[in-house]
Amino acid sequence: MKSTRRLPRRIAQAACALALVLPLAACDALTPGSAATVQGPRSVPSSTAVPEGDVTLRIQFADAPPMVDALIAAFEKGHPGISVEPQYKTFTDYVQNLKLTMTSDSAPDIAQYAVGMTDLAQDGHILDLAPYREAYGWDDAIPPVSLDQLTAGQQSAATGGRALFGVPAGLSMTGIYYNKELAKKAGIDGPPRTLAEFEDQLAAAKDADLTPLGVGGLDTGGLHLWAALLNQTMPTDDYWDWVNGSKDATVENKAGLTASELVVEWGRKGYYNESANGTAQIDSTAQFAQGDSVFLINGNWAAGQLATTMGDDVGFFPMPGEQAGDPTVASGFSVAYAVSSRTEHPEAAGAFLDFLTTPEAGQIISDNGFLPPNPEAVAKPEGVLADVAEGHRRAVDDGGITTFPDFAAPAMLDRLRSGVQKLIADRVEPADYLDSLQDEWEEHHAE
Amino acid sequence: MPSRPPGARGRSPWRGYVYVLPAFLVYVAFAVLPALHTAYLSLFEWDGVTLGEWVGLGNYQEILQDSVLRRSVFNALVLVVFFSFIPIALGLAMTGLLARYRRPGMGAYRFLFMLPQVIPLVAVGVTWRWLYGDDGLVNQSFRAVGLDGVTRAWLGDFGAALIAVGLVGTWVLSGLCMMLFLSGVQKVDPSLYEAARIDGAGPVREFVSVTLPHLRGELAVAMTVTTVAALASFDIVYVTTNGGPGEQTTVPGLLVYRLAFSEGKVGLAAALAVVLGLLILAIVYLINRLSRTET
Repeated sequence: MKSTRRLPRRIAQAACALALVLPLAACDALTPGSAATVQGPRSVPSSTAVPEGDVTLRIQFADAPPMVDALIAAFEKGHPGISVEPQYKTFTDYVQNLKLTMTSDSAPDIAQYAVGMTDLAQDGHILDLAPYREAYGWDDAIPPVSLDQLTAGQQSAATGGRALFGVPAGLSMTGIYYNKELAKKAGIDGPPRTLAEFEDQLAAAKDADLTPLGVGGLDTGGLHLWAALLNQTMPTDDYWDWVNGSKDATVENKAGLTASELVVEWGRKGYYNESANGTAQIDSTAQFAQGDSVFLINGNWAAGQLATTMGDDVGFFPMPGEQAGDPTVASGFSVAYAVSSRTEHPEAAGAFLDFLTTPEAGQIISDNGFLPPNPEAVAKPEGVLADVAEGHRRAVDDGGITTFPDFAAPAMLDRLRSGVQKLIADRVEPADYLDSLQDEWEEHHAE
Repeated sequence: MPSRPPGARGRSPWRGYVYVLPAFLVYVAFAVLPALHTAYLSLFEWDGVTLGEWVGLGNYQEILQDSVLRRSVFNALVLVVFFSFIPIALGLAMTGLLARYRRPGMGAYRFLFMLPQVIPLVAVGVTWRWLYGDDGLVNQSFRAVGLDGVTRAWLGDFGAALIAVGLVGTWVLSGLCMMLFLSGVQKVDPSLYEAARIDGAGPVREFVSVTLPHLRGELAVAMTVTTVAALASFDIVYVTTNGGPGEQTTVPGLLVYRLAFSEGKVGLAAALAVVLGLLILAIVYLINRLSRTET
């Protein structure tokens, strides 16, 4: 019993330690973290002159290493004075360390744009590229809509227009794949023109004893479905306001409710694969390729795999709008690159970003399975890849490429994932689900 | 007690501390200070980068109010059943069956039951995710015996997910418990078993009256290790379900990780870690108290 007798002494010791620690709280020097904003330039210079002499740029990224290597090789050929050093990290590592990396003194010159960048942009850790947008004429090289995704919801102090915190290389977009053979069996003769028509097709597939829609809800498949529906029910500007955290934006409205109710209703009617919530997106894609479902919700990143395994048997269309004349709206994002405000070579970084908008870079991007920002400049794809490119062109023309909803707040991804799982399983009222999203939104965007 | 050499009386207590000092310093630097630092961080609202804001006990208040956080503690307690109670019951049963007589090939059994302990938990999780999958071995087995109605994606089913995750823990920890108990039984004086048998005790009586009382120490160790594994579980859940579907399998360890590293709420994560640590300490203390009585 020796140790139990000593317990009061331990408590006393713990109390002493606590008493020592608590007063420290008043001391500012011990407050974790450092002051928010950085000194120095907040935007790039407007001159596009690349400096003489040898320059080394470090680029940190998480997606598509072969594409980045090919882009760097092509860029260095045209700019002998500049060498680019790639630093690859896995996506999870990259995102988790992003804030620390970009606020440290050893920040890379160029970094792939990811969720945390909005906050970094606000605090001035990455440069506003708006002056280059004008000087290089990026609006002519690639569709402005893909640049407007990268404003972090800010105005540019340098140009007075919209800010720009990244330049896209490959673009992505979500939509619906369909198995042409199974569709024919269910009496479906082509892509639907309206949401109601799509629902009829789902019902027809169900009547034909087929699984209508494959969803990989274990990870992100469910939120892609919900976002695709929300894109149809909610005005695009309102959606943007919400993702960008504009004041008073909300999803707790009729549009949000309609989209969420559709997810529940389709679940009740048995439109999803039976184990949607237990299937990862990559597995739902493999199952679709085996002919397990008529439709599949996924993004263009699956097109290469599906084209290889299914050949001409697979097609793609963006989620149709409520009315036949509605604009094509789909969520997507880009593999884009931002410039650190700690870089010593903003002009060289600008030259690299400008290279990304050239036809040569576009072809490299396309060859690596991404949608190039400048589709006219590259060789025409075939089969389902052509469907994806066509869908993307329509959405771009309609100004209808929106970001993924998890960009609204760092914690939103988990709320969306678990929330849509509950919608699919009919375990939550749509209003309560939207309420949980909005709570998270308000917590993050509270002043 | 051996008598102390004369003259050493005054300084001997201090001398003891000097011997302990190196280990003590390492312990303080790598265990105590980080723990205190965590407790200190829990008093701030901090995103990990920018200047933190002092919020006092606000984070703790938030923990008590947040339904997801409360749900995660409940899930962890359910996991205790699968990580601790069932493995210990299985381990005891196996010990009762195996310990009475020496059997050939015991080494092979031990190796087999110890195997789950040797495999990294992430690999265990990935393997079980396949087993539980739509076309995984679990569903195939059910289909093979005509139970098609039972099949489902176990990890995606709101009713079954937590149990499915728990059973992975049972699989991992049962072998450990059995090993502990078997080695404990070996130090029991064989004459006690003989005496019991002469008194006419059957296998059950023998187990209850002889084996069980001698395993009290091992039981305490097994309960401590497995309960801590359940309450601090992270890897298995992270790899199999990532907390889903909904919040059915969300555990505190997972939330600490998520809050700190992907949601930028380091203070709240630290507060949750402190609460989790205190909860574990309290339960471990309780287990040790209970196992010590009646001596």
